[in-house]
Amino acid sequence: MESVEVLVAHIQGLFRSSDEVSQLHSLLKQSEDALRSHADRLVPFLSQIDPSIHTLGYLFLLEAYSSESISREETSGFLLSVVEFINSCSTEQIRLAPEKFISVCKIFKDQVMQLGVPMQGIAPMRMAIRKLQTSTEQLTTLHSDYLLLCLLAKCYKAGLSILDDDIFEVDHLRDHFLYCYYGGMINIGLKRFEKALECLHNAVTAPMTTLNAIAVEAYKKYILVSLILNGQVPSFPKYTSSAALRNLKSYTQPYVDLANSYARGKSSELEACVQTNQEKFQSDSNLGLVKQVLSSLYKHNIQRLTQTYLTLSLQDIANVAQLNSPKEAEMRVLQMIQDGEIFATINQKDGMVSFHEDPEQYKTCGMTEHIDFSIQRLMVLSKKLSSLDEHLSCDPTYLSKIGKERQRFDFDEFDSVPHKFMQRAYLFIRKGSPNGVVRHCPQTILSSSIMIVLEKRVTMRR
Amino acid sequence: MEELSVHSREEKNVEEIARRFVPYGGRKKSPLGFYLAMDLSPIQKDLASKCYSAVADTCDDLMLKLASRGIRYQDEWPFAIHLLGHVFANDLNSARFLWKSIPLEIKESRPEIVAVWKIGQCLWTRDYAGVYDAIRGFDWSAEITAMVVAFSENYTKKMFQMLNSAYSTISVTDVAHFLGMSEDRAIDYALQHGWKLDSSCKMVIVKKPKTVTERKLDPSKLQRLTEYVFHLEH
Repeated sequence: MESVEVLVAHIQGLFRSSDEVSQLHSLLKQSEDALRSHADRLVPFLSQIDPSIHTLGYLFLLEAYSSESISREETSGFLLSVVEFINSCSTEQIRLAPEKFISVCKIFKDQVMQLGVPMQGIAPMRMAIRKLQTSTEQLTTLHSDYLLLCLLAKCYKAGLSILDDDIFEVDHLRDHFLYCYYGGMINIGLKRFEKALECLHNAVTAPMTTLNAIAVEAYKKYILVSLILNGQVPSFPKYTSSAALRNLKSYTQPYVDLANSYARGKSSELEACVQTNQEKFQSDSNLGLVKQVLSSLYKHNIQRLTQTYLTLSLQDIANVAQLNSPKEAEMRVLQMIQDGEIFATINQKDGMVSFHEDPEQYKTCGMTEHIDFSIQRLMVLSKKLSSLDEHLSCDPTYLSKIGKERQRFDFDEFDSVPHKFMQRAYLFIRKGSPNGVVRHCPQTILSSSIMIVLEKRVTMRR
Repeated sequence: MEELSVHSREEKNVEEIARRFVPYGGRKKSPLGFYLAMDLSPIQKDLASKCYSAVADTCDDLMLKLASRGIRYQDEWPFAIHLLGHVFANDLNSARFLWKSIPLEIKESRPEIVAVWKIGQCLWTRDYAGVYDAIRGFDWSAEITAMVVAFSENYTKKMFQMLNSAYSTISVTDVAHFLGMSEDRAIDYALQHGWKLDSSCKMVIVKKPKTVTERKLDPSKLQRLTEYVFHLEH
């Protein structure tokens, strides 16, 4: 106990200069074991330290306290102290010991979930992410925990503030999988199906040496969301890992069958397919999505009509889309017009529907702003890609791989070298194991959106 | 300022234990003792200034803040206003999730919340006329009436715009149905907006309003175009 008191006195005597902080940091690291042995008696010391000034000391004490199991009565008090700590802690000191901060936040999240109050954790976790990140482009381990809490508390909108950030740096691949999967689920809940498709696509095509359960679940939802949005499931892109290419379909057979049945366009057949596999969909908690797939079939059938006809009677629409009556067809078309999925006008007098072209001329101010914004984003992305290019070409492991085949190049082939360079870089990323790439290229940007552009450049220069 | 609310005897124990985690500087208690007066002024400010579209976000943020302090806010939380805020912003997904998270006892003891949810439900199932019935079928309390009226006017306008864009001719009965008015009032409303009535077959002919879109250019566009060309060249 004495050592703890001495330590606390040290912490309190700190005057914020950076040498003193690093001195304190090494002292704290040495005293970790002593702190842990007194874990249950640390509580009164916590109240003597101001978390906003002596963040580092408070963090070490808090982490030592939470490393032992916390009794039920103390949980709510612990939660409140963590919330207050996160709100008032100093960002620079946190970044000196990020693993400890992450550990405290994870235990906080576990306790909040155990107590059944996930909503309590949302605002603090969001603040913790913002304090831990060095930039909004970095994916931390806490991102997926935050999204999980939003899902459990049904505060889906709260997840959007974190989801809308573009991610360019990924430290651990597992965080990426969970982040993309939960992000997909949140977007599905809010019916932002394009964004959901992006997230799930990233989860399915991320590098992996062996198939993992997260990718399998993500692929199931990916199939369903593709059907709802586009009426078809696209084939795997070239940069998908071979583990995914070989095995994903065998683990998701009922969903693949559903997609095949959907392609044939008959709602009765689709319903029969859903009936046969109902239990599997139910146990995967995907039944709600499957029902949405069913109702989207009518929509896609009607949309297909616009490609063939200029005007069509409501009765014919009802027949083609297998609806019960012209009135029902009218209501469906009205809903589609309201949602902007179709451009048409209904003439009730004659019972006809006329289909139109998209009236968007792309000339308005608003549309120009939108295009400008997209171009700016692409320019930023392009610059990042060039710097990734340069980084990779200076990496020693990569150079040694290239060096083995240097005798294949002579002056005549000089012009094509950049192309082969890029191709090797692309293969290097694809074949490297996730941990291997992270270890050798700590600065490298791993996001799949970069990989997509990378892929495109390879094909462009071909 | 740290404040805890204590509503029942079991929770007094928690208060005792939590007291051990006194934050730095000691705890400041509200002068009223145990019961916490929740600071709902941001929501009231939005209502007073008629910024109804901002109500949902204000409510969300405040609710998360209160929840993070472990405060049991559910008993005094204005769920009806919160729900109506989501409905007003046409965010039916958030409205549904909020409805699911409201405890059963509160739903049963506060019929106003159920009435607001009825509006949301009709919007979700696209029961266009049902929305009007839900609005008129309840005696709204004073603080929510203004918001309900504003929503009702907004909804009528949106319905009319929808009919404008979706129909070239439509029967008078249907117009009355979609606008929640009697047939005569519906005809007047339509004629006011330039539609024509064909009284022989009781159909109204829709006239689409001319939309004016902004197309002016300004010098900053030139700057941007230069940047794009520069980027493409390099």
